[in-house]
Amino acid sequence: MSKTIFIDTSRCTACRGCQLACKEWYELPANITLQKGSHQNPPDLNPNNYKLVRFFEHKIDGVVRWFFFPDQCRHCVNPPCKMVGDSYVDGALAQDEATGAVYVTPKAAQLTAEQGEDVRQACPYDIPRLNAEGKLTKCSMCFERITNGKLPACVAACPTGTMNFGERSAMLALAEKRLLDVKKEFPNAMLANPDDVNVIFLLQEQPGRYHTTAVAEAVPAGYSRKSLLASLARPLKAMARELT
Amino acid sequence: MTNHWIDIKNADAILIIGSNAAEHHPISFKWVLEAKDKGAVVMHVDPKFSRTSARSDFHVPLRSGTDIAFMGGMVNYILEKNRFFKDYVVNYTNAALIVGEGFDFKDGLFSGYDPATRKYDLSKWKFEVDANGVPKSDPSLKHPRCVFNLLKKHYERYNLDNVSKVTGVSKDNLLKVYDAFSATGKPDKAGTVMYALGWTQHTVGTQNIRTAGIVQLLLGNIGIAGGGINALRGEPNVQGSTDHAILYHIVPGYLGMPTAAWQTLEEYNKANTPVSKDPKSANWWSNKPKYMASLLKGWYGDKATKENDFCYSLVPKLEPGKDYSYMFCFDRMYKGGMKGGFIFGLNPMNTLANTNKVRKALDKLDWLVCSDLHHSETTDNWRRPGVDPKSVKTEVFLLPSAHRIEKEGSVTNSGRWLLWHYKAIDPEGQARPFGNMIVPLMSKVRELYAKDGGVLPEAVLSVDWPKTYDCNEMAKKVNGVFTADTKVGEKTYTKGQLVPSFAALQADGSTSSLNWLYCGSYTEEGGNLAKRRDARQTPMQERIGLYPNWAWCWPVNRRILYNRASVDPNGKPWNPAKTVIAWEDGKWVGDVPDGGWAPMADEKGKYPFIMHTHGVGQLYGPGRLDGPFSEHYEPVETPLASHPFSKQLSSPVYKFADSDMDLLAKPADPKYPIVLTTYNLTEHWCGGGETRNVPNLLEAEPQLYIEMSQELAKEKGIKNGDPVIVESIRGRVEAIAMVTIRVVPFKVMGKTVHLVGMPFAFGWTNKGCGDSTNRLTPSVADPNTTIYELKACQVNVRKADKVTELKL
Amino acid sequence: MKWTRRDFMKLTGAGVAGLGLVQLGVDLGPARAYAAGLKTEGAKEVITVCPFCSVSCNIIGSVKDGKLVSTEGDPDYPINRGALCAKGAALLSMTRNEHRLTKPMYRAPNSDKWEEKSWDWMFERIAQRVKETRDKDFIFKDDKGRTVNRLETVFFHGTSHADNEELALAHQICKGLGLVYLDHQART
Repeated sequence: MSKTIFIDTSRCTACRGCQLACKEWYELPANITLQKGSHQNPPDLNPNNYKLVRFFEHKIDGVVRWFFFPDQCRHCVNPPCKMVGDSYVDGALAQDEATGAVYVTPKAAQLTAEQGEDVRQACPYDIPRLNAEGKLTKCSMCFERITNGKLPACVAACPTGTMNFGERSAMLALAEKRLLDVKKEFPNAMLANPDDVNVIFLLQEQPGRYHTTAVAEAVPAGYSRKSLLASLARPLKAMARELT
Repeated sequence: MTNHWIDIKNADAILIIGSNAAEHHPISFKWVLEAKDKGAVVMHVDPKFSRTSARSDFHVPLRSGTDIAFMGGMVNYILEKNRFFKDYVVNYTNAALIVGEGFDFKDGLFSGYDPATRKYDLSKWKFEVDANGVPKSDPSLKHPRCVFNLLKKHYERYNLDNVSKVTGVSKDNLLKVYDAFSATGKPDKAGTVMYALGWTQHTVGTQNIRTAGIVQLLLGNIGIAGGGINALRGEPNVQGSTDHAILYHIVPGYLGMPTAAWQTLEEYNKANTPVSKDPKSANWWSNKPKYMASLLKGWYGDKATKENDFCYSLVPKLEPGKDYSYMFCFDRMYKGGMKGGFIFGLNPMNTLANTNKVRKALDKLDWLVCSDLHHSETTDNWRRPGVDPKSVKTEVFLLPSAHRIEKEGSVTNSGRWLLWHYKAIDPEGQARPFGNMIVPLMSKVRELYAKDGGVLPEAVLSVDWPKTYDCNEMAKKVNGVFTADTKVGEKTYTKGQLVPSFAALQADGSTSSLNWLYCGSYTEEGGNLAKRRDARQTPMQERIGLYPNWAWCWPVNRRILYNRASVDPNGKPWNPAKTVIAWEDGKWVGDVPDGGWAPMADEKGKYPFIMHTHGVGQLYGPGRLDGPFSEHYEPVETPLASHPFSKQLSSPVYKFADSDMDLLAKPADPKYPIVLTTYNLTEHWCGGGETRNVPNLLEAEPQLYIEMSQELAKEKGIKNGDPVIVESIRGRVEAIAMVTIRVVPFKVMGKTVHLVGMPFAFGWTNKGCGDSTNRLTPSVADPNTTIYELKACQVNVRKADKVTELKL
Repeated sequence: MKWTRRDFMKLTGAGVAGLGLVQLGVDLGPARAYAAGLKTEGAKEVITVCPFCSVSCNIIGSVKDGKLVSTEGDPDYPINRGALCAKGAALLSMTRNEHRLTKPMYRAPNSDKWEEKSWDWMFERIAQRVKETRDKDFIFKDDKGRTVNRLETVFFHGTSHADNEELALAHQICKGLGLVYLDHQART
């Protein structure tokens, strides 16, 4: 049984403790940013931010809603990034059986920038990023922390119970319980791809209220998820040709 | 806070007003959400929809500066609908006391107003007393001049129509809040009010809080678990720095500052020590002479003797009635009346009102000593944009200071917990803790006086000053020591030993204490109690999360203030499920009670509000300078020319600075039609001097912005992300427009009033991030506290053609 | 300093391993090299209090060879229980930022630059300025002839960033010098 992070966005206050805790633990440098009319900053995930709180404001049935989405790698059960990465350099990414953590290994340094970009393209959640040297970066579920008895940095910092970490079964049970509660006020609330990922988001509203990759898109017609993932193991351009 | 952070979880209703708790006290929301999980209703009343609103049950937009109208409406609702907790109101508040015939209120003015001095004669508001000086009372609440009936009459004008018209809050929204919150006026329900600078930074700031006090007393919410009026103190140790009184008007432990009117200690004690002849009133402040004598012994050590009035004559005396706060200090400086000064860990060039004036004022000093972590708008004021450094005469000394993690000592959190922190690493470079600056610096001054003499050298030389800074030794001196062998109860303490509790402090010079409130924090028996990390609790304590063995809390480790009001007159908890204290088998259990006397109904019992002379909570507060009840007045700069409560538009007694740079917009000035409110944000700290210099935090909030409604943006042709110019009559600021549905226009007195909001964390020393928002705000202030009205003034906004303060 | 580290399992109410998987004998395979020791391994843990708002969260600083290697919320502290907001979480980089003042600096009248000076030089010069101003402007009596022993041309502002022990001293010496223009963040 793997570990799972359950992210209950209905409790998030966007204090960004998680965003900063991640950055501080990994001692990632700051980006130069500008105010562009949003509190979401930096504007997107990048090699210096494996964790980013996204902000979405809507008026729904005359009521102002402000949704927060502490984005990060989903640590897929069948990670497409690993399949694509490994197809170029075996072992570029690894998935730890005991924890389910999917992480970039030192071997990924052998990936070319173009190959790294293919890895990013394979991710249904648009998570991995290439740094200035063309090297692949992303959240590792704090692999070195969780294998040393510590919580992931983002989970440890969270004040509100938004970020939760534990055995997959326990997290699924918590997620289901919370979903029932949240649905009382937000009937469209849902869990994002709970069967496919080890980082499960509880959304208060349908995915259209968030960014386009909050939830993985439906599998294209003619493909089962499994066959799609298998095809992903081939270079993406070839797959793109097949799909069109 | 009357209560403490964890206690928020015990509330059934949480009213967050004048605070954006989730953004400015983020971890408080751990406890707000815990209460919400258990069914509490969480309401956010605030000009804009913020991260706090997002996690509340609902948000109610309120025009900035109309909190008294809003809360006054709640007082009226509670009285009208009989939602008050009658037993509590009759027994524990001054509802039954009879007010003297001198009190009156007409068209926005209380009796005793002198327009020439803009001051009230407070003697007009006194209670009617018997031959012993004890206020007369009518527990049946029938007397026409009993507080209860005056209260009813005063607030009946605060009906839904008037309140809605002024605040811009719909009647539905008013009722939603009033109904949910007043539902806690039952013995087994608790409601808490969480407020912060959104309430204090108004010309009616004190009365904003007073109105919450009235509401909470009516509902029986003071002294109980999950109740209280909770000031979410900002600042890293602002509770401690207030307790230690880095303020002109008090000395440590909330004792009055000596003035010229009190030439001897005896005169001081006589004027400052309240007297009650009511045997049921504990009148705790009757102990004041003990605390003052112990403080003087702490300041002057062996030099303070009974014969020399404990050096009282050396203590500087204020001119009675004169205000020595920031606003008047900088006004005097601007007019050339200041020569030098110290600004430690503070950035007034960014955080005070009307910073254009404040910045110019600083140029007029001969010398200035600053200490900070980074260069700030204050330390580097002499080279600010648009100023030729060669024209600034000030000699500036900049001392690099240590971070908290680089030093050891104690701080006091908002819930009054005294917390010890340890030194993890050495200070960076040559940086030093404040204590290691001030001790050698003042030792040097003392050395000069000892060597060369000078003016009144004994004032400087009599101070009991340490040779080196030692936080442990100082913690003991703060607690207090016996200066002679003394017997307390059965135990004898020898000279130099620690005083076990403030109950043992004496007025005869046999004890010293630098702050009576902290007496008991460091004892012979328990050592330094701020260091305690013991999570043990009794089951009763655990139910409410009291943690009495973790650290220490002033006073005497009492975690919930006024807790004698959480029980009925026989000592039985109003709400047994959330017991704070209970009288069991002839003794109190639970929290440390507000005095160990038997319950009030007992022959030897006392009233619960022991810090008040009459022992009861003050629905009627005759000690405030702007009235015994609160009253709605518009901010000094207002979009309105009139309001329905009275002809008195703004507070008749607000304070103001008067100079050629202290301009004010006229009421309803068409040139400045938009309300500006200012605030903070999670990622930066107040003036921003610390956090802007942390690149990881600047990354998350890089530049000054202005939040505005879509409607206003459309009117002004402004798009989200556009640079704009914001102007008040005093100044001009550049900001990036954040056009959002989270800000809405208000319908006020039949017209549309727009409101914008800006943080004040940005400054020119971090290039391209914007500069002080407070260049817009006015030097006008609350008459009781002289806290500036930073939360409401009038501005206009337009799209910028070009900007110089912001990187685009 | 002693404290009992709260078990993370209790903290989250979920089955988080209190021991590392390595210690539990789980074979990490190729991951082993990647998941080498934590940067906090063997570090001394020191309790501090977050230097921002008055929730006063406790923070554990991990110190190795006199250097701070990590800061995290203290899971034992009953108020924050390990949690931190953005500011509290940024404490490590806060102590490392390049803008930090590390030396006493002096700006002479009408000068356009800072100069480095020693602490002793600064103390000496400031003390002279304080004494000179005090001796010149000290007020013994007010207009009504009452003894006031105060100095109105020098002010002292700040600070809520200081510790209680430091504040007690600051207040004490202000009284000694006769300063009355005394104020700080509590009034804003």
